[in-house]
Amino acid sequence: MDPNQAVREGLPPLLPRLRRLARALAGQVADADDLVQIVMERALARAAQWRPDAALDKWVFAIARNAWRDELRARGRSQRLFAAEEAGAATADGNSGPAQKLELATALATLPPDHREVVALVLVEGLSYSEAADLLQVPVGTVTSRLARARASLQSHLGKDT
Amino acid sequence: MNAIDEDTLQAYVDGELDAAAAARIDAALAHDDLLARRVRQARALRARMQATFDPVLDEPVPERLSALLRPRSPQAAATPSAAAGRRGFGAGRRRAARRWLLPTAAAAASIAVLAVALWWRPGSGPVRVHDGRQFAAGALSVALDRALASEPDPRAPIRIGLTFRGADGRICRTFTDRARPPLAGLACRDGAGGWSLPVLGAAERPAGGELRQAASDLPPAVQAAVDARIRGDAFDAQQERAARDAGWR
Repeated sequence: MDPNQAVREGLPPLLPRLRRLARALAGQVADADDLVQIVMERALARAAQWRPDAALDKWVFAIARNAWRDELRARGRSQRLFAAEEAGAATADGNSGPAQKLELATALATLPPDHREVVALVLVEGLSYSEAADLLQVPVGTVTSRLARARASLQSHLGKDT
Repeated sequence: MNAIDEDTLQAYVDGELDAAAAARIDAALAHDDLLARRVRQARALRARMQATFDPVLDEPVPERLSALLRPRSPQAAATPSAAAGRRGFGAGRRRAARRWLLPTAAAAASIAVLAVALWWRPGSGPVRVHDGRQFAAGALSVALDRALASEPDPRAPIRIGLTFRGADGRICRTFTDRARPPLAGLACRDGAGGWSLPVLGAAERPAGGELRQAASDLPPAVQAAVDARIRGDAFDAQQERAARDAGWR
């Protein structure tokens, strides 16, 4: 199958997971869906670079992570600077308690980007440490230590019993 | 057994340990309350993350996202990424802004009309006034009749944004005009075959990051007017073209 067609046909089933990952990276629903749109556009534009022996989901998630890094760079400041202003419209809609979700969104927003993306990939998307390390192109030990520090930070924000 | 470091403990919680190492932790948990508590906390955090984000999987995918993957609009879907970043982040911010602006729609719209009335000279440029209402004229009228947002002409001073069908059944289109001063507005198909302009205002460009600049493509008054009228989703590329072919009826 031609890679363009393979990517085009492979993307729709990935959309729900891509949206979930984007929400974990970006926080705000509107930002997250903007990110998803950019990721799909890039994936389609670069479909020829995808090798069929690579898992399409990991390839797309790597595009998402890089696109989000680009966006943060374009803003010229880290996530935490606008988190306070916009956390109110963040992940918090749904059924497990808006207050808890807002609290978690706020705690996530305090993480530096390299910690937050590990949290998103491992704790939300459920990648193994080595899959996350491949995707981020860092050693497994780096994933482990970022994740441990992110966990400690989140737990200190959320209270000991989360 | 108290020498279980954080990395090992989290690897245990995340299912990263091999069977032998996991069994050692299992055994230690039985008589180490502090360790058991740390494991519970780490598991609770993971569960909380999933409880927060997994519901996204069941949300309906917005039309603007699934529309990108339809084979029939390849040129709209495969734009270069630099431009995509700008446009993409702006697009979503417009949606977000619309949610927040609903209550102020009427007030914002009247301010915009007032602002235009103060400096607009009837009979000149892209607007004509008839019975106290503003209508598109000249190049604006032509652009509204012909231009497609999915096939933007970078040289054209007038750019079409959203096209949608309003609750009254009429098709409306947002536009920006790089005139001096730059204009932005909402045009709705009139019964007589023209475009009435319920909202027309200055297209300001506030300072800020990329995201905010993109969001300023449409002034709040226009966004609010879209909100007040739209029924369903904005047209995708195919619907926009079909609507043009049908004479915007």
